[in-house]
Amino acid sequence: MSNNKQVDTIINKLLNEQEERETKQPSDKQVQEIIQDQSTSKNLLKTNPSTQKSLVPPLNFSLVEDGIYRSGFPMPINYQFLQKLKLKTIIYLGDLSIKKSKDKNKNGSVDILNNYLKWIDTTNIQFHNLLIESSQEPFNKLEENDQALKSLTIALQLILNKKHYPILIHSNKGKHRTGLLVGLMRKLLQGWCLSGIFEEYEKFAMGKSEYDLELIELWQPELWIDDNDKPEFVRT
Amino acid sequence: MSIDNTTIQDQDDNNTNTNKQLRKISHPPALRIIPPLNFCPVEKQLYRSGQPSIINQSFLNELNLKTIIWLASEEPSDDFLEYCNYNDINIEFIGMINEFEYDQQRLQNPWDSLTDSTIRKALQIIVQKKNYPILISCGMGRHRTGTVIGCLRRLQGWNLASVSEEYRRFTGARGGRILVELLIEGFDINSVEIDLEKAPDWLKVD
Repeated sequence: MSNNKQVDTIINKLLNEQEERETKQPSDKQVQEIIQDQSTSKNLLKTNPSTQKSLVPPLNFSLVEDGIYRSGFPMPINYQFLQKLKLKTIIYLGDLSIKKSKDKNKNGSVDILNNYLKWIDTTNIQFHNLLIESSQEPFNKLEENDQALKSLTIALQLILNKKHYPILIHSNKGKHRTGLLVGLMRKLLQGWCLSGIFEEYEKFAMGKSEYDLELIELWQPELWIDDNDKPEFVRT
Repeated sequence: MSIDNTTIQDQDDNNTNTNKQLRKISHPPALRIIPPLNFCPVEKQLYRSGQPSIINQSFLNELNLKTIIWLASEEPSDDFLEYCNYNDINIEFIGMINEFEYDQQRLQNPWDSLTDSTIRKALQIIVQKKNYPILISCGMGRHRTGTVIGCLRRLQGWNLASVSEEYRRFTGARGGRILVELLIEGFDINSVEIDLEKAPDWLKVD
């Protein structure tokens, strides 16, 4: 009981002190000093509010090639930024899909997907919802792997036609599935050496890599290209 | 919006029925190209990297560079200078040791950060379309290159958290430097003069 009383007095004392601090105005002299301080500190943090915009790119956003962007899952805070990219196509590599959404709503992810689809609906963007289960080697089922390879082949076919540009490729965090597709594109379409591809993959994945790098190294899909629609960076 | 859940079967059908011009790709390009350390596209025809070496030449050839903004405190290797000379690439040296700036700020040590005026000088080149394609480069492509790109992102109106996320992506295992981030945060973006008629399209506000 006496302990509780002690705690109460301490809390009251702290509250009073805080109130005192808040009501106390700095003296003129102090204000003068603060102003002086600010003017000598090399204009640190000087911003002009009239020119201040705040564009928020999605998580792990980056340019991949002219007309191809990569990122994590776009949220409402990013829509204004995305609008400026004038996207024609979005490729979503992920485990969320319109078909599956009924039985899976972890952390409200379905609501987020639906909100996102509503935003896409207000644009002219062609949305490709390509299913890839998150890879949990060695426990992925055979049919899940087949589905992933099909989705990746479709994504590469979309990238091979510049009529679809500008394209945004995204997954949930913009690390593994997006990195896998970008890595495949670097190897199969641009002929990058593997060490350069792995360096780029690691920048976004930051540590974890599942079996993505092995797949980039070993997998050779059959792709088709129309040379009239070939993007400039494709070297095949 | 249209939702596409095409299966690979549909794609095959399209390929055989509708178009005879399709060419099959069944192997990567024969000549492998090697990107320089820390290479990444920043915007259209604007790239960043660490110091390129002789093994990166066929990769660099693909970029058709016109300008290189060299931010390190020391000269690049002779190989690289020769490559630029041979390919008519203009190198802008910004941030060399003991280079006097008009405002008397002086860089003295290789580990010194860039100054406000060196950043501004680099950005003044970046905001002019006539200099493109541009590669921004320093020794490792981490801090000095990251400083200039960070300030460019602020000029583009990015929020600071995203600017710093991008900077740290290129800093390697030892992480970002707080001084670099302060420099980016404190840089006065209004001090860069942009002539919208001569600026690259992605910089124009709509």
